[in-house]
Amino acid sequence: MIGKEEKKMQTITLKLKDSVTSGSAQVPVEADVLTPDQLFGKSEAEIKAVKVWWGNKQENAGDLFDVSVSGDAGSADDVKIVFEGNLKRVKRIGAGMKAGEIEARGDVDMHVGAMMEGGRVVVKGNANCWAGGEMHGGELLIEGDAAANLCAMYRGEEKGMTGGKVTVNGSADELVGQYMAGGEILIKGNADRLAGLNMKGGKITIEGDADIPGADMTGGEITVKGTTEMMPSFKFVETAAVDGAEYKKYLGDFAMGERKAKGTLYVR
Amino acid sequence: MAAELLIRNGVVYDPINGVKGEKKDIFIRDGKIVESVSNPKVIDAEGRVIMPGGVDIHAHVAGGKVNSGRLMRPEDGRKGIEPKTKVCRVQSGYSVPNTFATGYRYARMGYTFVMEAAMPPLAARHTHEEMIDIPILDNAAMPLIDNNWMTLEYIKSGNTDLLAAYIAWMIKATKGYGVKVVNPGGTEAWAWGKNCNLHDTVPYFDVTPAEIVKGLAEATEKFEMPHSIHVHTNMLGHPGNFEVTTDTYDLVKGIKPYRDRPAMHATHTQFHAYGGTTWKDFESQATHITDYVNANDHVSIDIGSIVLGDTTTMTADGPMEYDLYQITGRKWTNCDVELETGSGITPFLYSGKSPVNTIQWAIGQELALLIKDPWKVALTTDHPNAGPFIGYPIIISMLMSKKRRDELAEDVHKVIFDRTVLPSIDREYDLYEIAIITRGMTAKTLGLAEHGKGHLGVGADADLAIYDMTPEERDAGKIQKAFLNTKYTIKAGEIVVKDGEVVAAPPGKTIFVTPECEQSLMDEMLVTLKDKFDKYYSVTFNNYPVQDAYLPNPYEIKAPMRG
Repeated sequence: MIGKEEKKMQTITLKLKDSVTSGSAQVPVEADVLTPDQLFGKSEAEIKAVKVWWGNKQENAGDLFDVSVSGDAGSADDVKIVFEGNLKRVKRIGAGMKAGEIEARGDVDMHVGAMMEGGRVVVKGNANCWAGGEMHGGELLIEGDAAANLCAMYRGEEKGMTGGKVTVNGSADELVGQYMAGGEILIKGNADRLAGLNMKGGKITIEGDADIPGADMTGGEITVKGTTEMMPSFKFVETAAVDGAEYKKYLGDFAMGERKAKGTLYVR
Repeated sequence: MAAELLIRNGVVYDPINGVKGEKKDIFIRDGKIVESVSNPKVIDAEGRVIMPGGVDIHAHVAGGKVNSGRLMRPEDGRKGIEPKTKVCRVQSGYSVPNTFATGYRYARMGYTFVMEAAMPPLAARHTHEEMIDIPILDNAAMPLIDNNWMTLEYIKSGNTDLLAAYIAWMIKATKGYGVKVVNPGGTEAWAWGKNCNLHDTVPYFDVTPAEIVKGLAEATEKFEMPHSIHVHTNMLGHPGNFEVTTDTYDLVKGIKPYRDRPAMHATHTQFHAYGGTTWKDFESQATHITDYVNANDHVSIDIGSIVLGDTTTMTADGPMEYDLYQITGRKWTNCDVELETGSGITPFLYSGKSPVNTIQWAIGQELALLIKDPWKVALTTDHPNAGPFIGYPIIISMLMSKKRRDELAEDVHKVIFDRTVLPSIDREYDLYEIAIITRGMTAKTLGLAEHGKGHLGVGADADLAIYDMTPEERDAGKIQKAFLNTKYTIKAGEIVVKDGEVVAAPPGKTIFVTPECEQSLMDEMLVTLKDKFDKYYSVTFNNYPVQDAYLPNPYEIKAPMRG
C-alpha cells in the first residue's frame, strides 16, 4: 500500500478495584510503570502481571486494577491508557512517560506527569502536589485544580521543569514552576502565592490572580492577567502589549543581585 | 554462620603477612582465620584475587554532620534508592547514603571496617547510634579534641600531663578511638568569624595551631595509643597551602611514637597540596608533599582523591565550608558545638571541565603514585568531601592503569598537562600495592592489625574479599567492576556478599580505646573540667559520657600510660 496507512489505536483501560482504596489506611498505588511506552506490545495477561508498588509491597497490576485491552498499536504513540475508579490514592500516573496518551478519569494523587518526556496526559479532575514536576517534554492537561508545587523541582534540586506544556483549567496552589528552567505553564484560574519561585527559564501564564510571583527569579517570563501583589524587588521597564491588552513589564528579581535579575514579569 | 569455611584456589594478597599473590587455601573457624579445619563448607575461588577485608582509615559515615547532610540534600537521597529485600533494609543516597546503604555498599566493595573520622564529642551518642545502624562493618570513631577550650587552655599553660589526662577522659567518655585534629585553632577562631594559619594566634586563647598540634601529639604519645594523632592541617583547600602542610608535618618530627608507626597521620592530603596564590594561578604541589613523605618516616598520609561529579562536603572546618559556599552560592549550613568544635556543610560539583577541579583531581593520584613506599599512603576520598566512597574502584583502576589515566586526561581540562605532573607519571600500582593502601597500611597505621583487622594471618578476623578477577587482569574497566562488587565478601567467617549481592547483614562491632591515665592527674584535670561543665556546657558532667548501651558489640583496646 502506498500513501495512507490506517491509524492504529489501542486502548488499555485500568479500573482501580474498590478493594484497593476501601481500607482505612488508604495505601497509595504507584502507577509510573503503567505508561504507554512500557505497556506497548504487552498482551492483556502480560499487563496484568506487571509489578506495581502498592505501599511497600509489589503487586500484580491485575490484582489492583481491572484490566481490559481493545485494539492494536503499531507503536507506543498509538497506545491510550485510561485510568478509572477512585484515583485519589494513585500516584505518579504518567510519570516519566515518553509517548502515547493517558487519560485519568477523576482526581489523582501526587506526581501525575512528573518527569514526563513525551506524549500527553489528561486529568479529568484535580491533581495533587507536584503534577508535572521536573517535566522535560510532552503535554499535561489538568481539567480541574492543581495542588501546590505544580511543575516544581523535587525538594532540594536546583532545576524544575525543563520542557513541555502544562495547562490547568482550574486554579493552582502555591509554588507553581519552582526552579522552572524551560517549557510552558498556563493556568486559567488563580495561582496563589510564589509562582515561578527561583525560576530560570520558560514561561508561566496565569489568567487569574497571583501574589508575589517570580520571587528570586533569574530568567524566564511570567504573565499575571488578574490582580497581583508584587515583590518590591522588581523594576518597572515599560508598558507593553500582551494579547492585545496593555501590561506593565518588570525585570527581576533584584534580590538576587543586579547581574542575575534577568526574569521578566508582566502584570496589569 | 557456617562454623568452618575453607576457601580454595584463591590468589592471596595479604601484605601484612608478606603474602604477595600466592595461591593458598584459607581456613576459617568461628569467625577467625585458623591453621586447619575438619569439616568445612568449601568455596572454590577458581584463581580469583583474595584480599583481607578493606579497612577505611578515614570517612564520614555517621553522626550529626552526616545526618545534616542527608537532611539538607533530599535530592541526594533520591539517588540510589533501592527497596528493601529479604536481607537488606531500604537504601537511599549517593554522597550521603543512609546508614544501611553505607554498610551494604562498603561490603560489596570488599570492605569490612570503616573509621568515622570526625566525631563531635557532644554528639558522640548520635554517632554511635548511627554506627549501630551501619550493618556488616566493624567501626570506630575519632573524637575532635583540638578546638576544645580545655585543650586550648592546657596548650597555653603548657601542661602536657593534664592535657593527656583530658584526652584520656574524652576518648573514654565518647567511646572513641583516637585524637582527631581538624583545622587546629581555626574552628575555634571561626566562632569569632576568623580563621587561623599555622602560626596565627587563636583569638582569646593566645595559642597557635602549631602549638596545638605539637601538644596533642606529645600528649597522645603518653599512652600506648594504637593510632597517632590524625590531622586535618590548617588552610585546607586554599591555594598555596602546601608549605603549611609540610610545616605541620615537621612539628612532630622529634616526637617518639609509642610503637612502630608515624607520630602523625595527615589526612585527605589532596586538599593540602595546593600551589599558586589564587584560583587563577592554582597548581599542583603534590611533589612538594611526596618529596617530604619519601624523605621522612614520622608521617603517613591518605590521599583524599577526587571523584568527579556531585558530592556533599562536610567538615568540622567551618571557615573552609563558608569559603566554599562563597564560591558556589549553593546551600550551606553551619554548626557550633558549644565549647568543643563546629562544622559546615555545602554541596559541591567536581567537574572535569573546571581547571581547578581538574588539578585537584590530578593531585590525589599524584600523591599515591609519587610516594615510593605504599606503606605510607592510604586510599581515601575523604568520603564524601572529595567524592563518595563508592568511587574507590575508579581510583584503583586509575592507579593500576597508565592507559586509563591517559584516556581520562584527554577528557578533563587541558590544564592537567601544564599544572600537574600526572600525565608524566608511568608508575602503575600492582595488586599487592593496592592491598597495602586499602587494608595493610590502614590496619597497621590505625593499630588494628594486632586486633585482627586488615590481614589473614592465623588468629585474624575472618574478613576477606574475593574479587571477580584474576591477578593477570589489566583491563581498567574490568578491574573497576571487580572492585565495585565482590564475588564474595566474608565478614567474621560469614558470607555477607555473594556475586555482588548482599546475602547477610550481621551487625559489626565498635572498636574503642580506653587510655588509662594516672588517677592523680585525672583528679586534678577533673576539677577544671567540672567547672567547665558547670559554667558552659548545656549538659551536666554526669550525663555526658556515652554509656555502654550505645555499643551493643563493643571491642575494647586498653592504652596504658607509658612509663
